[in-house]
Amino acid sequence: MPDFVIVGGGLAGATAAATLRDRGFDGRVVLIGEEPMPPYERPPLSKEYLRGESDHRFVRPEGWYEENRIETRFGVRAERLDVSERVVELAGGERLRFDQALIATGSRNRRFPWPGLDLPGVHDLRFAPDADAIREAATAGRKAVLVGMGFIGAEVAASLRMLGLDVTVVEFTSTPLERVLGPELGRAIEALHRDHGVEMIFRDAAERFEGDGRFEALITREGRRIEGDFAVVGVGVEPVTEVAGDGVPIDNGIPVDATLRTAVEGVWAVGDVARHDHPVFGPIRVEHFDNALKMGEVAAGNMLGEGAVFDDAHWFWSDQYDAQIQMSGFATDWDDMVVRGSIEERSFSAFLLKEGQLLSAFSMNRKFDVRRAMPLIAARAHPDRELLADPGFDLRRLHPPKG
Amino acid sequence: MADWVKVGSAGEVGDGEVSSYSFGDRQISVANVEGDLHAFDDVCTHQQCSLAEGDLDGAIIECPCHGSRFDVITGEAVTGPATEPVDVFEVREQDGELQVLMDA
Repeated sequence: MPDFVIVGGGLAGATAAATLRDRGFDGRVVLIGEEPMPPYERPPLSKEYLRGESDHRFVRPEGWYEENRIETRFGVRAERLDVSERVVELAGGERLRFDQALIATGSRNRRFPWPGLDLPGVHDLRFAPDADAIREAATAGRKAVLVGMGFIGAEVAASLRMLGLDVTVVEFTSTPLERVLGPELGRAIEALHRDHGVEMIFRDAAERFEGDGRFEALITREGRRIEGDFAVVGVGVEPVTEVAGDGVPIDNGIPVDATLRTAVEGVWAVGDVARHDHPVFGPIRVEHFDNALKMGEVAAGNMLGEGAVFDDAHWFWSDQYDAQIQMSGFATDWDDMVVRGSIEERSFSAFLLKEGQLLSAFSMNRKFDVRRAMPLIAARAHPDRELLADPGFDLRRLHPPKG
Repeated sequence: MADWVKVGSAGEVGDGEVSSYSFGDRQISVANVEGDLHAFDDVCTHQQCSLAEGDLDGAIIECPCHGSRFDVITGEAVTGPATEPVDVFEVREQDGELQVLMDA
């Protein structure tokens, strides 16, 4: 029996471990995670967990790993993969020999060299203790200053408003989520937050954080001084690639082929760290939950020789206030947007197309369109605009035949 | 003690359809997979969304909230994020009624 080592104790790594056992693999599996907690779901950290409405959701119950003979090294950092010796070196000196290794080290928050970033009261959000610290600071009536209005910033803004705090956000672009959604859909998110009382400042950026021993104010590049009780920075993430050492190539993450294999035989990468050669989208690194889950499953199968191409059309959700937001596909530029429903009434889907090909679907409070669009996106379909715009038309009728 | 309880009318769940019914404090869904009826707990074991509001594809129902997939025949969580199965129940059409076998 070969020995498998999984480096990274997040959703992707834990799902891969579980899938190996589900598929009947009986050999040694070691799961290494730098966090002391067993793998847990991160999406609630900006939503229901942050608001104190839910406890942690573990990817598998705490006792599951032992019951399934998954050896765990939680709270231990993997330092380096030695691909010539086929050994993973752990902090503390342990060396784990492997026949196949899966890198699932995820991402870390980007940190710019802003003065005052290390002041107490300046938070960011990635791990459970980060959420605990924000939760502790977030008592009703206090004032929060947020830097960045991507998905994390938007979700934290919503959660803090729901907890009764005053929220001011500074965002470099001209709408929330502009880089992902474009200005028109970004303005729909902006209107949602405006109606819920978030103060938003666009086209401005953090310059420094000030305070006498703890955060008191954000000074912006445009010279604004925004006072608050605490700050939360959400300005994107970067892949955690150090473990690749000098044996596995790195290029904006760890490049993997369509089957999730790195340049090294028997070494795979999944989740936020993997820059995947996607059959439809081309090279892409995706930082979403569903992608980590599905890549973990597919990579585990491929470690067992299944040879499956990962061609998922990508999907994620974001809950902000009572708005359910979903998105599938991937588009950096598009020449056409078809709207189904009403943006004004916040019940709509938007389909992004280029030269007639459906690239991406976005929805607010319409449950089905985005997921039903996925087989069309994967098939590079050129759906009829009028059918896309018709709220009564079931997109499944356009799905390619199975098999 | 299990009893057959009426949740609806015979014939009201068509092929490829799924409907949800309240019984006591439970929400039960009935899916019609190629003419065979299958009853299962409507509440997703991940974050308690209604599975009947998701898409049924063959015997697989997909949670509309976070994409977990369940086999409506066995209750198994086929893909995550849910990992725990949903309960399944016996279901039949008799005397013009749609009936599910439930613990009293």
